[in-house]
Amino acid sequence: MSRILVVEDDAATAAEIVDALVDHGFTVEHATDGRQGLAMAMAGGFDAMVLDRMLPGTPDGLGVLASLRTTGVPMPVLILSALSALDERVRGLRAGGDDYLTKPFEAVELTARLDALLRRRYPLPQETSLRAGSLEIDLLTRNAQRNGETINLLPREYDLLAFLMRHAGQVVTRTMLFEEVWGYRSEERTNVIDVHISKLRQKIEVAGQPSLIQTVRGAGYILHAAD
Amino acid sequence: MRLTELPRTTSFRLALMFLALFGTCSLLLFAFVYWQTVGYMRRDQDEFLQRQLTFYSTLSPADRVQRLREHPRNDPGTRRPSGEFAANGQWLVGNLSVLPAELRQAHQPVDFVLPSAGAPVPFRGYATQLPDGHWLAVSQNVHEPREFEALLLRAMLSAGLLTLLFGLAGAVALGASSMRRIDAITLAIRRIVNGALTERLPVQGGSDDLNRLTREVNGMLDDLERLVHEVKGVCDGIAHDLRTPLTRVLGGLERAQRRASTVEEFRDAAARATEEIAALLKTFNALLRISELEAGARRAGFSDVALAQVLADVVDLYQPLAEEKNLTLQLSGTASPTDITLWGDASLLFDACANLIDNAIKFVPAGGHIEVRLDAEHRAISVTDNGPGIPASERKAVLNRFHRNEPSRSTPGNGLGLSLVAVIAHLHDMKIDITDAAPGCRVSLSWSAR
Repeated sequence: MSRILVVEDDAATAAEIVDALVDHGFTVEHATDGRQGLAMAMAGGFDAMVLDRMLPGTPDGLGVLASLRTTGVPMPVLILSALSALDERVRGLRAGGDDYLTKPFEAVELTARLDALLRRRYPLPQETSLRAGSLEIDLLTRNAQRNGETINLLPREYDLLAFLMRHAGQVVTRTMLFEEVWGYRSEERTNVIDVHISKLRQKIEVAGQPSLIQTVRGAGYILHAAD
Repeated sequence: MRLTELPRTTSFRLALMFLALFGTCSLLLFAFVYWQTVGYMRRDQDEFLQRQLTFYSTLSPADRVQRLREHPRNDPGTRRPSGEFAANGQWLVGNLSVLPAELRQAHQPVDFVLPSAGAPVPFRGYATQLPDGHWLAVSQNVHEPREFEALLLRAMLSAGLLTLLFGLAGAVALGASSMRRIDAITLAIRRIVNGALTERLPVQGGSDDLNRLTREVNGMLDDLERLVHEVKGVCDGIAHDLRTPLTRVLGGLERAQRRASTVEEFRDAAARATEEIAALLKTFNALLRISELEAGARRAGFSDVALAQVLADVVDLYQPLAEEKNLTLQLSGTASPTDITLWGDASLLFDACANLIDNAIKFVPAGGHIEVRLDAEHRAISVTDNGPGIPASERKAVLNRFHRNEPSRSTPGNGLGLSLVAVIAHLHDMKIDITDAAPGCRVSLSWSAR
């Protein structure tokens, strides 16, 4: 079970975040200011941190992050901020943040991103192929197979499938897909992504067998690791 | 207009300053001319006296007496009286009857006065003691030169006085005219502050600094008026467009409270309410996003964006959706000018194009055609469809927040798509044009060469 440190000064927001993370199955500790958060983070024992960008007093969010990174703590950090301007986001990521989420956000967006960050933390050895149940893709030749049969995918469909497989068993939101597969940062374009997913489904699914990519209502998609 | 405020006007002060500057210069010039003229005249007189005295003193005593005796004949008006006097000042010969004390003491040309029938007459004279102890004196009537000097001085003084008067009058006139203009502007500003937003500052013909400033302010007022109207439009839009879904949510929940009895029914009601509220939240987010973009803060993240790539990505994103609706979505013009770049934000440009395509897909009936074009020659991106088009009268209005023309009321959407496009275009210094594609609609975003 992953232990998450939440540093957030606003009590209501903090409660909301802690609830969402506990519901998702994380163990959560909460700090209300930068000093306390930094001390707890330094003490160790956390797998990831959710850090508010605007904290009262010093150090603020970016200050905490900078201190952590200069002392060589590699823990993945997700920055929360009410500031969504692009340069703010870039500043956050440059200061050593691993992901950035703008308030207000949906709980599922936060947990999905944390799952992705935690997964990234344990990099698999340089693999050349990904497997999920009966699906297999070759990362070098960009060839996809199901039950040993080659599936013809367009480049974008291949990218979608690869991302879903990399996060097999995790909920992936439409915003994450849009950011990772298309490479643009934007509000979600729900129905457009859905059409891509449904085309991908048509190609990878076999009649009579359970669907591999499932829609999680109000959240996104999940590709089941085993069937 | 209050006279006491006159000295505070800039033009009055400037006029006074120039008057003082001009006055000082003139004074210096006058003084120089006066000093030179008077000096020249006096030197001339003194040289003449010197010459006369030298001439007489070199003559033999007999000749001198002869000459002095003949002198009155050459000087009938006694304009240059000369005479010889005994050592004690007793008159001996010549038409200068007395030897003034000043002459005996000075040993250089000196002014003195001789009494006459009328007023005393000013003279300048020069005296020297001859070897035999006699005094020899020559002099010249300086009434006219002195008069001339006085005349010169008076002329200069009156000219100076006139200049001062005219200058002051000019300063007052200038100050008063600028005060009138400032007063008119102040009045206009007060009216604007009090709510007359259509009021503009008065501009008088020319292009002087005040007029230029006024025109700038008027331009600013145009922008402000537009913004205020937009804000008002947005408020009205929020009121109208958000009230409907909120009422629906409330109604649904109340109905559930009254009638629902099973967990299933409650769950259904909650799901419907959640959906409605999520859509509302989305609208709010879109609004916030538009205002954030309007604030222009995002320009800091600009870089060179390869437009052909962005368009290819947008078309790629929407291709399946278009196919699903049986529309052809075609990208053109990007084959050759792959290196067209624009200083901007790739994600925002992507969003703008995505919104245009999204709209086209929404409104074009099945079997229709959508063309996305990158025009290198005219520096424009255009999205053209052969759908129902937008009536000419509504082309400007559709860019406003929450505007949805009647036929589109039934389609999903929050009426913010095109305003987002407009804001993104504005942020990138692009011009947005909506034209008739006969049939259909063409929206183009064009920019000027950098």
